[in-house]
Amino acid sequence: MSEVSDAPPTRPLRPARNWALIIGAVGAVTLMTWWSARGIGFSVVELACNLPGGRRLLVESWPPDWSFFPRLLAPLLETLQIAVIGTVIGGILAIPIAVLAARNLTPGFLVWFVDRNFMNILRTLPDLFWAMLFAAAVGFGPIAGALALTVFTIAVISKLWSESLEAIDMAVPEAVRAAGGSWLAMLQFGAIPQALPHYVSYALYAFELNVRASMILGLVGAGGIGMVLETQRSTFEYPRVTLIVLSVLVLVLIIEQISESIRRRLV
Amino acid sequence: MNDKAAIHFEGARVVYPNGAVGLAGIDLTIKPGEFVVVVGSSGAGKSTLLRSVNGLTPLTSGRITVGGQPVPKQEGRELRRLRAGVGMIFQDFRITRRLSVMTNVLVGRVAHVPGWRAMLNLWPAADREIAFKALERVSIADKAWVRAGDLSGGQQQRVGIARALAQEPAIILADEPVASLDPVTTHQIMRDLVRINQDLGITTLVNLHFLDLARRYGQRIIGLKAGELVYDGTADSVTGEDFKNIYGRDPDAGDVLDASVAS
Ligand SMILES: Nc1ncnc2c1ncn2[C@@H]1O[C@H](COP(=O)(O)OP(=O)(O)OP(=O)(O)O)[C@@H](O)[C@H]1O
Ligand SMILES: [Mg+2]
Repeated sequence: MSEVSDAPPTRPLRPARNWALIIGAVGAVTLMTWWSARGIGFSVVELACNLPGGRRLLVESWPPDWSFFPRLLAPLLETLQIAVIGTVIGGILAIPIAVLAARNLTPGFLVWFVDRNFMNILRTLPDLFWAMLFAAAVGFGPIAGALALTVFTIAVISKLWSESLEAIDMAVPEAVRAAGGSWLAMLQFGAIPQALPHYVSYALYAFELNVRASMILGLVGAGGIGMVLETQRSTFEYPRVTLIVLSVLVLVLIIEQISESIRRRLV
Repeated sequence: MNDKAAIHFEGARVVYPNGAVGLAGIDLTIKPGEFVVVVGSSGAGKSTLLRSVNGLTPLTSGRITVGGQPVPKQEGRELRRLRAGVGMIFQDFRITRRLSVMTNVLVGRVAHVPGWRAMLNLWPAADREIAFKALERVSIADKAWVRAGDLSGGQQQRVGIARALAQEPAIILADEPVASLDPVTTHQIMRDLVRINQDLGITTLVNLHFLDLARRYGQRIIGLKAGELVYDGTADSVTGEDFKNIYGRDPDAGDVLDASVAS
């Protein structure tokens, strides 16, 4: 202790800031923003001039048309059903896809490689693309929506969960193999139990995303509340649009509350 | 005592991919029903020796036979069949904390029941009975339906032992089974292992860190040093000089478990 107070060691000097780097970075971002704004014709002045239009839209949209609510119930329920189907089927299919994509569990490099790339393709293509694809394949309606959300769910859960699986402790799975267990037994008794809370958590998260997404999917004719939204918007029934947005907001908030309380119980 | 429980090492050699030598060519015969303690300083190759018996660590050259059958060098049905008859106990227990004690012990039956039954948790009554008997043998049958992670360290190691017993193995490999336990529990677990060896005639190989434990519980002591077999004799005849040779230095207080507790 005394040595410290007696002879204070020379403290290292704070290194000088790299001003060139800071100025360069700020400059680059500014330049890119200016270039992009010019490209899409984005101008603050013009935006300000158009503000009255936005205000008129807001005024026309308020108050919400409450009398329209009874006609929302069925589509809202359909939205929920689309999300449930997509989450359950997608959640189940995501299990093998995630396992095969986890480096520590996959049975071979080739399987891993193919599965990884399959996952990447699913993830790269947006949910709207899948909705339009399935609408073309099975016709407009809730089935197309559910199929699109199935793919979307696989993409979300398999990516997140395969990372959880890669982080597990391989000691217990090795013990199952030491007892003569097969690859499946190793997964079932050694590996998956460790990552089960993560799986439930990601499945709930996917469900929340799906409820929100099924509204957007409706815009391209994949069933649910989004389809009602699209018809009301295109006929300028803004008070009804407001009601639809509000009811989806409430639905999403309720679901988030429920899944949050389930998640808390898991940990 | 059947010869299914014999182990032969012939020029058994393990070189890890990074060049580290695990076993430097070991010739050794373990007779059925023996209780063998393996000692050696850290890195001497004790774990490698045990893990090569059930193929968790494959040999780079030489061979090992278990019950006359060579240990396969690749994962597969053959190796799984061999492992089914060899129980393993680990320093860190290696049980699934989230699952019940019973499920953990039933893992010892996975190689004996059809895959779909294990998958659906539809274990045959006979296998449940074996699992219960195994738990009774280590006196924790009352904990059968408790979450394994909720048990104490000593109890968790008993679950590990019960899982090995549920395999109805001819051989038990225990890799420093008491290294994470307190002295009192250590002696209880060591006595369990000796009793199981005597009652069931299961060939038992135990890696131990402490010299007094080795002398006290081993019948036969094997000393490893840098992957070589440097001692092989009975526990009664092992001397301080032998230990000095195995460890390459004089044994000190760190090499014995608290002697005051040993009774
Ligand atoms: N997976 C591995 N990869 C590379 N080298 C390893 C591996 N496992 C062990 N070794 C090396 O092999 C040698 C023997 O290791 P082993 O684990 O068998 O020793 P040990 O006697 O069990 O030691 P300890 O008492 O510390 O457990 C050591 O030099 C070790 O560094
Ligand atoms: Mg070791």
